[in-house]
Amino acid sequence: MRKVLAVIRREFVERVRQRWFWVMALLGPVFFGAIFYLPTLLGRGGGVKHIVVIDGTTTDFGVQITARLNRPDPQGRTSFVAVRLPAAPPLEDSLTHEVEIKRLDGFLIISDATVDSGKAEYRADNVSSFATNGALDNALTELVNAARLERAGVDPEVVKRARVQISLATHKVGGAASGASAAQSFSLAYFMAFILYFAILVYGINVMSSVLEEKTSRVVEVLVSSLRPFQLMLGKVLGVGAVSIFQFLIWGLSGRLLFAQRQRLMGASPTAEDNGIFTVPHITAETALVFVAYFIGGFLLYSAMFAAVGAMSSNEQEARQTQQPVMYLLVASYLSMFAMINDPGSTLSVTLSLIPFSSPIAMPVRWAAGNLPMSEVALSLAILFVSIIGVTWIASRIYRVGILMTGKRPSIKELVRWVRTA
Amino acid sequence: MTTSILVVDRVTKRFSGHTAVDGLSLDIPPGVVYGLLGPNGAGKSTTIRMIMGIYEPDSGSVRLFGDSVGASGKDVSARVGYLPEERGLYPKMKVIDVILFLAEMRGLDRRQARTRALDWLERLGLKDWTLRKVNELSKGMQQKVQFISTIIHDPDLVVMDEPFSGLDPVNAQVLKDTLFDLRARGKTILLSTHIMEQAEKLCERVCIIAWGKKLVDGPLAEVKRTHGGQHVVVGFDGANGDAASIFADRRLVAKCDNSAQQAELELAANADPQDILKALVASGARLSRFELAEPSLNKIFIDLVGPEAATAAARPDVPRA
Repeated sequence: MRKVLAVIRREFVERVRQRWFWVMALLGPVFFGAIFYLPTLLGRGGGVKHIVVIDGTTTDFGVQITARLNRPDPQGRTSFVAVRLPAAPPLEDSLTHEVEIKRLDGFLIISDATVDSGKAEYRADNVSSFATNGALDNALTELVNAARLERAGVDPEVVKRARVQISLATHKVGGAASGASAAQSFSLAYFMAFILYFAILVYGINVMSSVLEEKTSRVVEVLVSSLRPFQLMLGKVLGVGAVSIFQFLIWGLSGRLLFAQRQRLMGASPTAEDNGIFTVPHITAETALVFVAYFIGGFLLYSAMFAAVGAMSSNEQEARQTQQPVMYLLVASYLSMFAMINDPGSTLSVTLSLIPFSSPIAMPVRWAAGNLPMSEVALSLAILFVSIIGVTWIASRIYRVGILMTGKRPSIKELVRWVRTA
Repeated sequence: MTTSILVVDRVTKRFSGHTAVDGLSLDIPPGVVYGLLGPNGAGKSTTIRMIMGIYEPDSGSVRLFGDSVGASGKDVSARVGYLPEERGLYPKMKVIDVILFLAEMRGLDRRQARTRALDWLERLGLKDWTLRKVNELSKGMQQKVQFISTIIHDPDLVVMDEPFSGLDPVNAQVLKDTLFDLRARGKTILLSTHIMEQAEKLCERVCIIAWGKKLVDGPLAEVKRTHGGQHVVVGFDGANGDAASIFADRRLVAKCDNSAQQAELELAANADPQDILKALVASGARLSRFELAEPSLNKIFIDLVGPEAATAAARPDVPRA
């Protein structure tokens, strides 16, 4: 046991001493923050758009549209600076040129047909901005609706009063995080799945490269003459695991700090919370517990596999190929999160949260979505931990034979023999 | 006789297709320098790995200090030091940390290990490198670090696979001195080599193996006596007399390596060198030298192993699965 502790100690100390650990520790929260805030920052559409409205209407619809676009939104933000020009055949060509030389962001073409059939055209150098398209869409829809109702003889004042912005408040019923809004559950699920995926991947690969380092530098021969291969593998996995927990602690602390300062960091402009999508959820003790349990489980399961991959390979390139199947398992689990967030109760979600290779990511996602019976969590954890024992048993046998092998990569048949005879 | 430190009992190890070690037995008494000799690919490293419990023999057994080695055996790693053929240190760790870690692997506690490590580093002239990273060291220095970590826990048995390969004469001498120092303190040393001159100078007992099998073993003097026969070196001073016909007499001389002014003779069984001397003088030869010589270990080795042993080198030393 003292030797296992020595291995754990070496893995921990050598890793924490490395510069990249501290780079990760410090940049981690910034990185995660960016992942959450960047979409909303970018979603704002990147500032004010200068556009021209080519007005081919015979009514004052063009004037209305231009005025509507120039009006700031309820938050006081200006999305457009719009100028109305009457339609003329050469206008489109010259404006296209203006867009090409970036003096103009785009131009909107409307005519009487816009009110009749709802058709309008927007030409710009970038037509994939959701924010811009959305704002144009909203403005046009609103005014076209009003114009049509007016044409049908409805009093504009009545139309105005009839338009009510619906604000649907969603609240989760029961479960661990009761009271949390759907947006919070979503971001919690997203957050947990991403961190789990990221941490299992990074630290699993750490275990792999540690095995590989001992193998390629041939230190392993002295080591296995001193302690059992299983002890060595155990020490490695636990040592790297300890580093990851330490990393989480640092992230947790600095994340709190960063979050407390978010208003200042994001500037005076409204933050993501206003959009109601990426809100920072309240993390309860139970949620933290589920997260930690599945992180430890997932890490143990995957790092055992990564250790075996390292033992099978003779160098980095080979390892990169050999790790593919393990990576696919992990990536597939992560990607399935997006399907599960939409319907956490579906058969697919339930199945994925029981399969040990995907449950470390799937179960926390379902947990975050809420209202999960404890028995299901217990069953999933039980399956996971039984699988860890099984997978570790197989991995340690591959490890034991593999670390002393050089030369070509073993075939599946040879692997089976290693497992049998080790 | 005292109990053996190490007994290898008819071990066999096969690697998919070829037999690396074939029914080999060794018996090493305490307090000797024991040489395991053989051409490349003879099975030396595989034998040593089985002794170290890295490989399990397919059949046969290994006993260290009276206990069997292997997964079921007692952990004797604290009493054994091992220098593998392919040296290995963590390239990115500091010298002192590597030594401490490997010492811990051998059951030494860190504090004690630190004192001894600093001692050894000073003794081998590496004091200034204590806090440097391993990959900043030259090959020779790395070898010394590896050597320190092999013996830092003061093991009763030191097993070294090709300890001199890659060492310059100065460092080789340092290693030899340290080995004799260990030997003087009653430690047992098992080393493998294919360089016979070295084995001849260092080892009290040898075992020559080829193709995984033992060809001969025993105390060096005995091996020399029983193999290769009696040798005579004759030097001529101008006149050779009737030397050619005397050397051709198969009752006296078994083999002859004759050149103009000198001849190395292997005597026939039961021949008396004095008869040759008398015959040479009587035939009118003038001699500058007439010397009874031991055959070199190198000659015994080549006689035993034969030139075909060179083909053994083509066999992979490291097994493939």
